[in-house]
Formats: sequence, C-alpha cells, structure tokens
Amino acid sequence: MGDPIIETQDLTFRYSGNDSPSLDGVSLRIGRGVRTVILGANGAGKSTLFYHFNGLFRPSSGRVLFDGQPVGYRRRGLRELRSRVAVVLQNPDDQIFGQTVEDDVAYGPRNLGLDEREVEARVERALALVGMSGMRDRNTMKLSYGQRKRLSIAGAIAMEPEVLVMDEPTAGLDPQMSLELMELAEQLHHSGTTVVISTHDVDLAYAWADEIHVLRKGRLIYSGESEGFYSDPVQVYLTGLIQPSMFLINKSLCDMRGLPEVPFPRTETQLVSKMASGPKGRFVILPVRDAMSPSMVDSAVSWLGGTEIRLGLYGTTCRRLLPDSGVPVDYVFDGFESCMSQCLMGRDVVLLCDEGCVDIVASKIRRLEDFGTVVETKVL
Amino acid sequence: MEYILEARDVSHRYGRGEDSPYSLHHVSVGIREGVRTVILGANGAGKSTLFYHFNGVYRPSEGEMFYRDIPMSYEREHLYQLREDVAVVVQNPDEQIFSSTVEEDVAFGPMNMNLHPDIVEGRIRDSLFKVGMEEYRYRPTTQLSYGQKKRVAIAGALAMEPKVLILDEPTAGLDPQMSQEVMELVDQMCLAGTTVVISTHDVDLAYSWAEEIHVLRMGRLVYSGPPEPFFGDRDAVSLAGLTVPHTFSVNRSVEGIRGRSESPYPRTESQLLAKMSPPEARFGRISVRAVPEDGAVPDDGGELVGIYGFRTRRLFDETGSRADVYFDAIEGCCLGAMQGRDAVLYCDPELVDVVRERIRGLSAFGRAPEVV
Repeated sequence: MGDPIIETQDLTFRYSGNDSPSLDGVSLRIGRGVRTVILGANGAGKSTLFYHFNGLFRPSSGRVLFDGQPVGYRRRGLRELRSRVAVVLQNPDDQIFGQTVEDDVAYGPRNLGLDEREVEARVERALALVGMSGMRDRNTMKLSYGQRKRLSIAGAIAMEPEVLVMDEPTAGLDPQMSLELMELAEQLHHSGTTVVISTHDVDLAYAWADEIHVLRKGRLIYSGESEGFYSDPVQVYLTGLIQPSMFLINKSLCDMRGLPEVPFPRTETQLVSKMASGPKGRFVILPVRDAMSPSMVDSAVSWLGGTEIRLGLYGTTCRRLLPDSGVPVDYVFDGFESCMSQCLMGRDVVLLCDEGCVDIVASKIRRLEDFGTVVETKVL
Repeated sequence: MEYILEARDVSHRYGRGEDSPYSLHHVSVGIREGVRTVILGANGAGKSTLFYHFNGVYRPSEGEMFYRDIPMSYEREHLYQLREDVAVVVQNPDEQIFSSTVEEDVAFGPMNMNLHPDIVEGRIRDSLFKVGMEEYRYRPTTQLSYGQKKRVAIAGALAMEPKVLILDEPTAGLDPQMSQEVMELVDQMCLAGTTVVISTHDVDLAYSWAEEIHVLRMGRLVYSGPPEPFFGDRDAVSLAGLTVPHTFSVNRSVEGIRGRSESPYPRTESQLLAKMSPPEARFGRISVRAVPEDGAVPDDGGELVGIYGFRTRRLFDETGSRADVYFDAIEGCCLGAMQGRDAVLYCDPELVDVVRERIRGLSAFGRAPEVV
C-alpha cells in the first residue's frame, strides 16, 4: 500500500449543541492511489468525516494531515487544500451554483486563477468524462437529478484534484447510471487520482474497494481489506450493514463443497469462474482513440472468423462516440462483465475500449486467472 | 374482477399546452388483488406519476382509472373513499409528514375517516408498533432522522388499514438493515391480505420479491408479467435503463457453462445455492417455531437463531433475547443450514406455516435443508 495521502489522527468532532461527538477519536490513513470506501449506516459519521478532508470542518480535537502535512485552516492553506482534494456532496443541489452547465464547471478552475485556455480545456475534458459534452449551454435548473449529479462530479474533476471524494455517488441513480459512474471512478483511479467513496451499498463497495474503513456511531471500527470485515457477521450486524451478495454466495458454496473461501470472488464473473468451467470464447480488445466505426468492428470480427460474436463497450470516450458511430453494440453498460460472462459460456466477444482503459481491462482479465479462468485475449 | 386497480389507456401531461410532453403515454396496466407487484423503471420513467393516478391525486389527461372495476370519480367524497382503500407512501417522507408530532401525523388519516377515538387510538398504537416507532409517539416530527421519518410515513399509511398499499421507492436512502426491515413488514402486509405495489429501480430487490412486474420506459408501459421473460431480454432491460439482477445472471452463466436449462429460475441466494449444491454437502436442519408469547426463548446454544415478523422482533428487543440473524432471517437461516449449521427460526405465530412452506419450496431448485 502506498504512503497515506490523507491521514486523520485521533479526530474528534462535535456539532455545537450535541453532547455526543459525531466523530470520536478517528485515526485512519487513506493510501495514495488506493480505491477506498468509507462504509457505515446512516448517521455513522461518513459525511462529517468528508467535510474534514477538504477543511470545511475543523476538528474539535485531533488533526488532519494531507500529504504528510497538517492541514492549515487559514485562507491560503484551505485554498491550497481544496485545489488538491475535491469533495462531491451527496445532494448535487448543495453544490451547483452556476447558471449554465459550462459556468458551473468553469467556476472552480477559474478560482484557481488558471488562464482561460486552460479553464476551457478542463471544462471540456470534465464534461466529456461525465458524458455531458452536448449540454454545455443548458440551464442548470432544468437538468434532471442524474444530470445534476453528473454535473457536480464534472465540477470536481475540473479541479484535477489529487483526491476525489464522493459522498454516496450512486444514491438516487438508476442502475445503468450507477454502473457508468463506477466505470468513471475506475478510470480516474487508473489515471492516478485517489478516489474515496462513501456508500452503504455493500455490493458496490465490495466489487470496487481495495480497502474499506467502517464507521459506527462516529467511531472507526475497521480498516483494511473487505473480507476481514465481512467475515465477522456480528460486527457487520452491529454496524447496520449486511454481507455482500458475492461474499455470502461464495462462503455458502465453499462450505457446501468443503473448499477454501479464498480466493474471494468480488464480481459475478469471478464467482462464476469459481463455480463452473467449460470451453471459453476468445476476448478481443479493440482500443478506441477518437473515432469509432463499423469497419473497426469488421476487422475484429473477421479476425475472429466466427458468427454470434457479442460486442461490448468500456470507457467514457466510447460511450460518447457510440450514438453517431453506427456500431451495433450489445452491451453498452457493464460492458466488461457482460462480455466476460458470454466468454465464459464459450462465445467470442469484442470489447470496444477507450485507449486509456486497455490496461484496466487487461488486468481484469488477468485477475480471473486466480479463479481458474484463462481466456485467450488479443488487443487489436 | 380481474384487477383491483387498473389504468386503461391512460395518458398524462404535466402542462396544458398541445406540445407539453407526456409523462404517461397510453398506459394500460392492471394490478391483481393479492399479487406482489413491482413497477420498474429508470428515473423519470413515470413510476411516481402512475402512483398519483392510483389514489386519484392526478386525473388522467386521457383514458380512465378503475378501482374494483368502477371508474374513478374525482368528486371530493369519492376521493376520500378511494384514499381509505388505496394508500400511497411517497418517496420523500418530508412531502408526506405535515403534523408536528408523530402521533398527530399517524392519527391524521384515521381521524379524517371519522372513526371512533378508541379505534383511532388502537390504530396509532398498532401501526407505530409495526414500524418499531412506539417510543417516538410524542416526538416532534422535525427531530426525526430520515429513516425514522420514512417509517412514520409508512405507519401513517398502515393506520388507514388500506386494501392496497403503494410504496414509491420504499428503500431509497435507507441503509441495508433498515431496507430489509421495511421489506419484511411489507411482506407481512401481503400475507395479511393487503395488495402491495412497490416502485423501485433496485432490480435485485424487485426480482427477489415480485410475482409480477410492470416496466415503464419514458412514460410507456413496455412489459407486464412475471420477471423472468423481461430480464431474459437483454435489449429490453437495457432500453429501460435497468440491469439484470445478480441471481438471474449468475444462474444463466453457470447453467450456460454446464449446458443445462436455466429454469427453475432462482430469485434468491438460497435458491441459487440449492441449485448449485453438491450431493455430498451436509445440511443443517431448520426448526420453525412460533415465538412464545412471553418472549422467553430457551437459549439452546450452538444453533443459529433467526427472527421473522414485527411481533417477534419487538419481543426479542424487549426481552433482550439473543438472535444471530435479525434481518432477512428466512434467507439467513437457509444459508446457515446449507453451510451445515442447525437453525431455529422464531416468527410471528400466523407466519409459521408460510415460512415452512417457503423453506420447503427450496427443494424445487435442488437439495434443501430439512424443516422440522
């Protein structure tokens, strides 16, 4: 694990007028580049903790360190901190102030004193990442909830922070949008941003997190890999959470078959790999830079030389290019998992993938080897 | 009578202008009495708009609504009657809670029905008991947490003793345990004869619970029927802004690899595991018992203890009895037994048979733990 980028030491926080502290002696370390989830029931202190990460709240006692240095609460220190740590609030309405989409995203970068060309470049990139490039001039009041949520994330991304903290990012989103968002989190993670998410969706947390920190009534009760926490049902129960579906199925299955629980499957394809095996299909990764066309797919299909080939998509660039591309994609959402599950059933698949995401996909495929699945893979 | 609630060719627009967009477009949907029903759809698909038609808050721009085969009348007194029978719990409890104390809020509906004060009192107590909020009876509603408000809103609906209970995104914003507690209560309402309709975009929840689903997409009804044919149609699921439930896709993959049939379709983890269980696995046994009236539960030790039903839950709380599985306990005890542990499941007396039936139903999928 990397060195901590954010650290809290014995952090205690009381809202004025409250007897019991909202955070009580919390000491945790968020490793640089570690996919981090803060778990806990409603009211456990997740949001309060986040407000300390960007200096909005000041500890009643204890301290917060960023990059090894204690956070300074003077104006300059806070400005510096907030250019490096961006927090996306649960309710986008608390965060959106600009009149148009463009204004809103540009607000942060402009405040950093960047020149207009740089501001423009950042706005464009951030909106593209959240799939809102076509909505620059829209009035922010007229956006749907999902769009406002994505806009607030774009505003944070435009700051190009070292740490992106998202409070309940998928709450209130429908399932496809949630998947899209987690894909974005994965992409940001791979481009070097430290991504921290709070949620009480244990399935989502389990599939994504390298490390979890669990809060209960303001106290930190667990820090580490997910399995260490979920293996203790009493602890999970007392925290107001439940065990993730994949964890539970794996445990039951292993007990029934007398097999070891490790390696722990965290995704459907990992679980399926552990449960059954047969002839696999071939997995073709088709990198996409700035254009996507049916002829690209044709070349992949002719290389595979078969019929019944399934086509999936991964990455924000692909998603943006799709509508005008004329490419008949089968799996627009959850493209990797969907393609891989077809592959496990013996079908050849092609995954259209942002050039920058090829490594992400390749490592997901390699990870399956731990579960007994070796798939013939080719990057075209 | 085929349907208790029905929309026939209903369209709805929010504005009055010719070109104001349709939020419901020629929707014909029937809710069957006593059938666990889920309305599925992405944000903005029209779920809430449809619900407001069910209790007459909205009037169709075109088409007609029926309750028990009678066209809805929007006369004031008819609406009162309708809302005695059809209670809608909206997603955001702040839009539903108006009174200053919990008690007043729950009493509001029954008092409007001109019931005798004793009956109103009974209903307040009963419904607060069911949602586990008795202690909060005299609290100001402004001091409640989000989850508590949600429960008060549900209690307000229960106090009407409606024939149809409609819940818009009942688990949204709740943490997992609270979600399971709400779903257990809903389950119990169904068993007691209430027709329950839920809207959600949680496909896993919908799949494990619903007997029938209706899917909305951009104001149009795109599917009505049992969940499996819908989730088996990848394109339809994708167009509706939804995803395929975990148990459905894991089952499809595993059976696909083994070259076996997907049916019977497991909807819960225990059903999936029953299907996948090897013949050599040693299962524990599950004993389903009515909770003793005084809550005095023998501490047998060693066995996995689960509880099911709001009465059992309260009794265990009061007596401080030990339980291992507080939430989703039918499922939890089945999984425990499949892992080789003996389990005791305490439940409300009237639920004993139903619970036994449900556990035995696992044998339709493969090997099931024995019920004693």
